[in-house]
Amino acid sequence: MRKAMFYVPLAAFLALSLFLLSGLFSDPRDHGSALIEKPLPDFSLPDLQQPTRLVTAADLKGEVTLLNVWGLWCPTCNAELGFLTELRQQGIRIVGLYYVQPVDASFGDTFDINTLRVEVQDKLAEQGDPYLLNIVDEKRSLIFDLGVTGAPETFLIDRNGVIRHHHVGDINPQNWPKIQQLYQQLQQGGSDAP
Amino acid sequence: MNPRRKQRLLAVSGILVLLSGGVGAMLYALNENVDLFYTPSQLIEGLGEDKKKPVVGQRLRIGGMVVKGSVRRDEHSLKVSFDLVDTGPIVTVHYDGILPDLFREGQGIVAQGTLLDASTIQATEVLAKHDENYMPPEVAEAVKGIKHVAPKHTYPAGTP
Amino acid sequence: MIAEVGHLALCFALALSLILALFPLYGSYKGAAGPVLLARPAALLLFLLTAVSFAALCYAFWINDFTVAYVANNSNSLLPWYYRLTAVWGSHEGSMLLWVLMLSGWTAAVALLSNSLPLILQGRILGVLGFVNVGFYAFVLLMSNPFERTLPFFPVDGRDLNPLLQDFGMIIHPPLLYMGYVGFAVSFAFAIAALLGGRFDANWARWARPWTLAAWLFLTLGIMLGSWWAYYELGWGGWWFWDPVENASLMPWLVGTALIHSLAVTEKRGTFKSWTVLLAIAAFSLSLLGAFLVRSGVLVSVHAFATDPSRGLFLLAFLLVVVGGSLLLYGLRMHAVRSQARYQLFSREVLLWGNNVFLLTATLVVFLGTLYPLFHKELGLGSISIGEPFFNSIFQYLAIPFALLLGLAPWVRWKQQQLQPLLKPLSLWLVAALVLALGVLSMYQTPAANVALLGLLLGAWVTMATIGEIQQKAAQLGGVPGLFKLQASHWGMVLGHLGFAMLVVGIAMTKTFSVEKDVRMKIGDSVELNGYTFLLSEVYALNGPNYGGQAAELEVFQHGEKVTHLHAEKRFYPVTRAVMTEAAVHARLSRDLYVALGEELSGPSWALRVYVKPYVRWIWLGAILMALGGLVSLSDKRYRRKAKTEIGEQGAQAHA
Repeated sequence: MRKAMFYVPLAAFLALSLFLLSGLFSDPRDHGSALIEKPLPDFSLPDLQQPTRLVTAADLKGEVTLLNVWGLWCPTCNAELGFLTELRQQGIRIVGLYYVQPVDASFGDTFDINTLRVEVQDKLAEQGDPYLLNIVDEKRSLIFDLGVTGAPETFLIDRNGVIRHHHVGDINPQNWPKIQQLYQQLQQGGSDAP
Repeated sequence: MNPRRKQRLLAVSGILVLLSGGVGAMLYALNENVDLFYTPSQLIEGLGEDKKKPVVGQRLRIGGMVVKGSVRRDEHSLKVSFDLVDTGPIVTVHYDGILPDLFREGQGIVAQGTLLDASTIQATEVLAKHDENYMPPEVAEAVKGIKHVAPKHTYPAGTP
Repeated sequence: MIAEVGHLALCFALALSLILALFPLYGSYKGAAGPVLLARPAALLLFLLTAVSFAALCYAFWINDFTVAYVANNSNSLLPWYYRLTAVWGSHEGSMLLWVLMLSGWTAAVALLSNSLPLILQGRILGVLGFVNVGFYAFVLLMSNPFERTLPFFPVDGRDLNPLLQDFGMIIHPPLLYMGYVGFAVSFAFAIAALLGGRFDANWARWARPWTLAAWLFLTLGIMLGSWWAYYELGWGGWWFWDPVENASLMPWLVGTALIHSLAVTEKRGTFKSWTVLLAIAAFSLSLLGAFLVRSGVLVSVHAFATDPSRGLFLLAFLLVVVGGSLLLYGLRMHAVRSQARYQLFSREVLLWGNNVFLLTATLVVFLGTLYPLFHKELGLGSISIGEPFFNSIFQYLAIPFALLLGLAPWVRWKQQQLQPLLKPLSLWLVAALVLALGVLSMYQTPAANVALLGLLLGAWVTMATIGEIQQKAAQLGGVPGLFKLQASHWGMVLGHLGFAMLVVGIAMTKTFSVEKDVRMKIGDSVELNGYTFLLSEVYALNGPNYGGQAAELEVFQHGEKVTHLHAEKRFYPVTRAVMTEAAVHARLSRDLYVALGEELSGPSWALRVYVKPYVRWIWLGAILMALGGLVSLSDKRYRRKAKTEIGEQGAQAHA
């Protein structure tokens, strides 16, 4: 009895570590988006290169597509451009969703789509351009509807415009195979996928 | 049992009683001071599997995005009200005091307060986080998203 | 180039810490002197290499080397040089480097100052410290390398230091806090060494005591500075928020305080051994747990570091090895140790045991309040937070018996004490305390202020009982000159207790009599608060080196006379896109005037936060007095006796 008392601290500590361990892995990024298996929300937003052209949800249908949320202000997104460009060369269809940061007059911010276009062109010329289209979400309405809270984030959209997978963080050679598998399944599954 | 042993047994059992009483009181106090966290849609639709809704007068925390154009200020005092949203319904928050430095429309915030009616909250405290790309983790968790991911190896030129 | 030197030095340090972890322990196990003698040069070299590494990072900040990712993320060429240097520990990676610098510093200090210990014990202590070092060096190198480059693309300028940290308090707060956390590693090493050897005599406690005191002293100052910094920099005028990060530092402090008292019993009476060892393990474990909680992102906090699950996993594994291992060793070894000493129910032993019980209950309260949201979430019950009233009310109740005991204990003898002889002098001092407390309170003309009355009573009781005890000692030792015969550690205790009294009074008075008002003001408006009139005279644009913003000028009057002029700022830092409130504080011993500038509203008018906070300084002064008590105790001759060699530098050991 007396002997057992001296193991009480150890037992208490081990119980605590279990909680700490599970706490470590109940990370919000492990959960899927609430929008999975739901169709892409309706939107009508300009393309960065041709601001007069309005892109809608229908434009993304017909082919399996990666919708990549990104921004120049986000270092990880910029680092990701190179690998995404490689994917484009392999025939993956990637559409960019440009995340415009809120304009804050207190910091002397202004927003000008023409300046942004030049900046984005420079960047893509330097790092590679993976994007078929670059949707500019100035008011962040689509981004909001998609439940995006940061960048980079990528949505896998099937031929019917249904969101099938939500990836948070950058896409890199390590985690690509998993997404690739889903991508290929969707491609082979064709339009009869549920 | 000799007297010394008896005394010791008494002392030990006394301590045990006190200890369990103390821990019990502590846990009770703990439960009294728990503030559940809701998002606007959880507040309206209920929380968890059994869809439990908070009762009027309950203390709680709510986290969501400030709806654009919803901030209404009183002309002569510090009274302010604004709407919060996550993915669905809208909840109104009333507050009397100084808003945090980085309170902005379209920004994620957390408010602590009491429920006035089904969709209105009187806040005693409003918290905003300092990072522009940052959403309070509780909110991020609730809307199943994630905040900005730090770069791993490269830091390309030209970024601020 | 310099960054690579720093990185290399760190790699060598890891290798060296491995040597330090293995050889001395092996030597102690085999009873061979050779491997043990290796420990001292290894420890010294370890510190030297870490210092080189740290200097390299400082240099990278100094010359704005933005090819180093950590520099680019936390500095900016516009940043003044002193903030560039303090930015070294402004974020996770650099603060971990500071952490290992201090850990190796403590290790080197132990190596230098442990000559008087038996060689085998030296080997064990340094070996355990070496083991702890290995864990942290591996963590720095594998999980948070501050020297990582951003090549081939590097930014033209850095992202700037978090403006919250661009402040004097932040320059010294983390180093002091870390000194405290890491210092408990030494007490821990002493406890584990004793467990390995199976010997717990008075000597052991006497050796461990000064190290524990030194660590506790740093932690006290660190926490106090953090509280002070939050008060004037966060712009809310609060001095303690029960934030998880604050709680993470409070838990080791509470246990450390218990440990100091328990060590006294073990040293003087040779009892409480298993208890003392457990506390020594607990103090360091809670420091590690704090590091885990803050750096793993398990808890949601205002100032947690950037989160990363792999870091958390590493720290958790380390925690499991260190804490789990030592508690297992404790279970295996400790039951064989029995205390011989006998004592009665009314004796100093029992009162000190009571002290420990209350301190540990307080720790448990903080622990539960901090981790309950985690348990709640992991059990699938939803996200919650624990309200401040939980902590405040329980601490309030705990303070009452604790302070009563605290006043009484120094009067009571070891082993046993007759109640009779104490009754008369103690009741006299109790009356004196009552008079003092009521006297002070009557000046405030609100007898309904219960918390203030309680705090004043407790503070006055502790003060009076402590003074009375000194007066009694003087009588025994033949008048005031006799007081010089008292041991330094006794004076340390007196100072520590008076500091506690001051802290209690400060907290109670601030809580009760603070007047806080958020107001909307135009230029020329004035607001009256607690007899002070605050007049907003001017608001103008600011133009700082790396920030812009607004500044407000206020005049404060009392009874028609000008008291002071206050200057409050709201700063915008464009690079980090942060807004900072620089509160204006006019401080006196009896009250603080506090003004923070809020946002600009239509009109034009401004939101202003205006506070009058009586006695708030006493909180921090009390903490300083407690730390001073620790310092005086450290100077006790007793800790320098015994060994004949190399004793001269003992006094400086805390600063080594």
